[in-house]
Amino acid sequence: MEIDEDRSDFEKDEEEDDDSVSDLLRDRFRLSAISIAEYEAAKRNGMEISQPIVACIADLAFKYIGQLAKDLELFAHHAGRKSVTMADVIVSAHRNEHLAASLRSFRDELKAKEPQCERKRKKVPRKDDKAIEGIVHIPDL
Amino acid sequence: MDNNEAPTFEQDLIRAIFKHLWIKKAQERERNEFPNSEAVDSEVGAGTSKKNRPTSANANANALKQSCELLRVFVTEAVQRAGTIAEAEGSTKIEPTHLERILP
Repeated sequence: MEIDEDRSDFEKDEEEDDDSVSDLLRDRFRLSAISIAEYEAAKRNGMEISQPIVACIADLAFKYIGQLAKDLELFAHHAGRKSVTMADVIVSAHRNEHLAASLRSFRDELKAKEPQCERKRKKVPRKDDKAIEGIVHIPDL
Repeated sequence: MDNNEAPTFEQDLIRAIFKHLWIKKAQERERNEFPNSEAVDSEVGAGTSKKNRPTSANANANALKQSCELLRVFVTEAVQRAGTIAEAEGSTKIEPTHLERILP
């Protein structure tokens, strides 16, 4: 019985630390979300967005990132990896085709900025996107 | 005026959030698998190293960038959809009622 009590105290301390770290992260996240939301609202003919709304969107996004983290870990683990890669992120968006397509273009843009990786396979090093499309003939996600 | 690009989430922040969540899960898994690990350590010790080690996951740099983009899109979509409704009502400020309409 005594051992159990000690352990639960220790766990309680851990939980408190955990909560304060979590709160700090949530606050930082909220700040970023606020600046993005205000920027986007302003893009629409200078619309304003009320503060409680932004806080709400930020909290929703924070919950979403929780789900995302869980999904990404599962996908990576399923593929036998310890690290999450871009492929995992794209799979996590599979239910929304537009989103998946957008993430794929994002990945392609990133790859286009790293020409040194592609040079190994190509005989004629080129910097166009078209060149990269030629190589990347993988059964893509 | 500061930069031409849209603001987005910082990679460091997203990485910190991911790590925090993954470490928490790894600890939970460890606790669930070995509830008596404080006692009989010597006996259980041999088993722990062979079985699933409670290591936490990691994100590579490009995956982080993509995740930042994903989250940015999430926030942007929410704001733009609510904004569309606000505009349809002829108001110039996005209010809670507009947000309510776009929720699933």
